[in-house]
Amino acid sequence: MSAPKVIVISSDDEKFPVDPKVAEKSLLMKNMINDLNPDGLQEDFEIPTPNVRANVLAKVLEWCEHHKNTIFPDDDDDDARKSAPVEEWDKNFLKVDQEMLYEIMLAANYLNIRPLLDAGCKMVAEMIKGKSPEELRRIFNIVNDFSPEEEAAIRRENEWAEDR
Amino acid sequence: MNLQESCIPQEGSSSSKFDSLLTTASNTESDVSVVTPFLVKHISDQSLIPKDNFHKYCYRHNPDITCNKRTDEDKMKKIQTALDKLPSRDQEAIAHVWSIFSAAPSAHRQIILNGILTQCCFPQLSYVAQEVSSLIRIDFISTLPVEISLKILCYLDCNSLCNAAQVSRKWKSLADDDRVWHHMCEQHIDRKCPNCGWGLPLMHMKRAREMTEEDIKPILKRRIEEITNAKRMKLSSSQESPQPQKQLKKRPWKSVYSERFKLEKNWRKGIYTVKKFLGHTDGVTCLQFNRKYLMTGSYDTTIKIWKIETGECLKTLTGHTKGVRSLVFDSQKLITGGLDSTIKVWNYHTGQCIATYKGHEDAVVSVDFSNKSIVSGSADHTVKVWHVDSRTCYTLRGHTDWVNCVKIHPQSNTIFSASDDTTIRMWDLQNNQCLRVFGGMDKNGHIGQVQSVIPFTYKEELIEDGSESESESNHLHNSSHNRTGGGSISGVATGNEPAENLDEVDELPWNPNYPTHLLTSSLDNTIKLWDVKTGKCIRTQFGHIEGVWSIAADTFRIISGAHDRLIKVWDLQNGRCLHTFGNNASVSCVGLSDSRFAAGLESGAVKMYCFD
Repeated sequence: MSAPKVIVISSDDEKFPVDPKVAEKSLLMKNMINDLNPDGLQEDFEIPTPNVRANVLAKVLEWCEHHKNTIFPDDDDDDARKSAPVEEWDKNFLKVDQEMLYEIMLAANYLNIRPLLDAGCKMVAEMIKGKSPEELRRIFNIVNDFSPEEEAAIRRENEWAEDR
Repeated sequence: MNLQESCIPQEGSSSSKFDSLLTTASNTESDVSVVTPFLVKHISDQSLIPKDNFHKYCYRHNPDITCNKRTDEDKMKKIQTALDKLPSRDQEAIAHVWSIFSAAPSAHRQIILNGILTQCCFPQLSYVAQEVSSLIRIDFISTLPVEISLKILCYLDCNSLCNAAQVSRKWKSLADDDRVWHHMCEQHIDRKCPNCGWGLPLMHMKRAREMTEEDIKPILKRRIEEITNAKRMKLSSSQESPQPQKQLKKRPWKSVYSERFKLEKNWRKGIYTVKKFLGHTDGVTCLQFNRKYLMTGSYDTTIKIWKIETGECLKTLTGHTKGVRSLVFDSQKLITGGLDSTIKVWNYHTGQCIATYKGHEDAVVSVDFSNKSIVSGSADHTVKVWHVDSRTCYTLRGHTDWVNCVKIHPQSNTIFSASDDTTIRMWDLQNNQCLRVFGGMDKNGHIGQVQSVIPFTYKEELIEDGSESESESNHLHNSSHNRTGGGSISGVATGNEPAENLDEVDELPWNPNYPTHLLTSSLDNTIKLWDVKTGKCIRTQFGHIEGVWSIAADTFRIISGAHDRLIKVWDLQNGRCLHTFGNNASVSCVGLSDSRFAAGLESGAVKMYCFD
């Protein structure tokens, strides 16, 4: 018999069989696998992810598959993690519509896949960088809920950062 | 006809809406045979969906998220106008399509959509693609869990953060969050941020963050009114309750950041005011200043103590019989060295000279102190170390000409001395041994008298000169073995002399407390940056056209004053000259703080450039 698989089940009951190594990119799944199989995986092991749609789960597992051998900088090394730019592959991988990006980030957060969440956060940060408040409202479809007086006051409050 | 809520509807509102659609549809009393049963079946199915389950709602139709409503309303008005122009029969048919889609459960919807998409021509698909990308817009910052939103904001630069704070109330509360700005401060204050290349001055960080209400006034003029107003309100509301007089008030990190940012911007743009201190009757040779006082020494034999804020001369200390060449002070005492070969210790609060140290055989041109040790450099070619408590004095020999500058590096208990013999020496204060000589052609050393030296530690990467200069210096070295600054006469430190031609052997037994770098200035018109570990000059800064008498530096900048009457401001990290300021006399000494620098001139005038 082939090596046992981890079967990840999406909220809409689709089943994704993957290598344990791939599933373990998610700390949540890794802990579940280890806690419930103290002697190692003997047979297929099902993990339901009731918060994640099949489309999103497929993407997330694709990411885990690609990165199954990647060693990410230490969690504690905040500076290295922060300043590292998003890897080219991740960048292309995350070039999806906002809904997909949003759901991938929520899934990465829920499944505890920190490098994926980091990459998602950096992608959103890139969308925000260098944009005027009006542009930001347009990009993210946000309603300006300030009164004109408030808006003027807040603009003055933040003027110092402009034109450096 | 109401087109709203054409996705999974909320229970309750849904059925009535579809009833109205049904009424429209059944007006003509035909074609209802398929539509009506479908609607009836699935609308009842959907009523089983629990109302409170967040995951059953998409971002668009989640009743908690209101921002899509407005854009959708606009869109619907347009659809309505377009629809109204059609004959009623067509309107009805279209309404059927919509209502069926509307009532369909999500699996059905996918089938319907796929069917429609396969029928589309490319121009229609192109239209769909465009529409879809403009429709799927999500307010990430407002809807993600707060910790993720803050994480995203932590990746932004300060300008983007300030723009984000102007988007909406929700964005403002997150983009102004103290955690985000604390992170910004950590990234930038007293270090150059690796991402954006900006670094902000330290400005006594702790004091600025936690100030008593008394202290806050002179520094934060803008906030005075707010604070006093608040005080007044407090007083009027609770006159009786005991008020702690000196309550610590935490300033938001954003305000800490912006204060420093404004200062750094002034430095970069060269926005400043000048204060002048006039009184010396001969050239100024040395100076030092802190937040309150500026002290200057002069060839006129006096030391003057100035109150910076008003510019008035508080005291003139007399006692040296010849010109004063060097001074250094802390909160209690002032130590000076003079051409009369003496070192004097003063209580500058009273103006009294407490002690006079004699021992040098020629002019004392440099002094420094740390803890209970005084170090002096002299025209008699020696460095002397005076241990005040034990009343002992050691003489460090090795330099072959005037010693123009001495600096103690307290963390590693070492001394650095710069000399007219074109070299800089590093000494161990513990055993009075010379640890290293910085100089010589093979190390790309100075070719003129070295006037000042600053040891410092820099953790990030400093930009070094390119490899061309390296090969050039090698070439020079090969063509002439003439070492300018050899200390071969040295009786103390011959064993530590750099071995010629063997650069790699010359590794200093490393002590982690040693400074990593030195900055030096010389009458060869250059400023040099040295790697202490290898003993090599790794960068030479050109720009002055006559000798550089004095330099001062902090984490970000180097200030240099030269015989060419110019003061230059350099970027420490990359060595580029940022500003040049002209004067009417040559510049013999400079001093630097977070927000200001001072220069003493040959004419006797002292200028302070204030960037705050």
